[in-house]
Amino acid sequence: MSWALHRIDDRLIHGQVLVAWGSRLNPARIWVVDDGVAASDWERELFRDAAPGIEVRVAGVGEAAGAHAGEAGAPGAAFLLVRDLDTARRLAEAGARVEEWNVGGLHYAPGKEKVNDYVYLDARDRDAARALLLAGVRLSVQDVPASRAITLATLDPALAT
Amino acid sequence: MSPTRDAEGAGETPPRARVPALIVTHADLAQALVRAAERVVGTIEDVTLLSNEGLSRADLEEAIETSVEGWKHGGLLLTDFWGGSCHTCGATAARRHGEVVIVTGINLPLLLDYLYNRDRLSVGDLAERLQTKGRDSIRVQRGVPA
Repeated sequence: MSWALHRIDDRLIHGQVLVAWGSRLNPARIWVVDDGVAASDWERELFRDAAPGIEVRVAGVGEAAGAHAGEAGAPGAAFLLVRDLDTARRLAEAGARVEEWNVGGLHYAPGKEKVNDYVYLDARDRDAARALLLAGVRLSVQDVPASRAITLATLDPALAT
Repeated sequence: MSPTRDAEGAGETPPRARVPALIVTHADLAQALVRAAERVVGTIEDVTLLSNEGLSRADLEEAIETSVEGWKHGGLLLTDFWGGSCHTCGATAARRHGEVVIVTGINLPLLLDYLYNRDRLSVGDLAERLQTKGRDSIRVQRGVPA
């Protein structure tokens, strides 16, 4: 069982993840993989408490990469959340084998270009996306289960160049 | 008639600074709740509204912090549900600002109770009261079999 969703979403744990994806896939565990959150006692505690009834594990990229294969065989479904494409790329480089990422929310920030209503990318994001695509990883854009999944490369022609 | 004027009539209780509130929700729920509350109590003042629409964690945290940093004696963040970005970003933003307390699961009865008690209770007492009032407002009415 275990890995049911690998998601790139700058809000990490939030409504769409808990309610929409959570109701569909019933995760027993949610891994929040983020070096910044893992380094902050306060934020670790905040996310651990954010999902009543679900075990939340907060880990840095190195720790999560080391635990990734073991978690794949654990009972119950698990989600893994990262906040950006670069973290997904670093997780792959550290040895985590993820075949497909759900791209769920990369919101606007200065310097980012609109790809759709909830995905905005800059050069750094695109570098990370290209590296993942080159490694054969699928990047599937879909905010909630009820909406249609579409590949990131289809939405963003700049990734083809 | 406004809840403000009602509270002034309380008399005995010593004057207390009004507890300000920021309502942070998905989409335009905050506006809709306040519009609905205004149908009941009239014009509402001193409540700030914010939507998480299109905002990253960082931007939502910043927007919340901008709203609460002017509060001298704390205040309440009212958000839609526990674990949502409005709640978790609110918790991060509020952490640096003294007595800012978050109540999640806002509903219309909870909002109305806030309006009628914000001039007489402390931030902490008001938060506890709203938790109880919000919960107690959810009840089941079954039909009677014909």
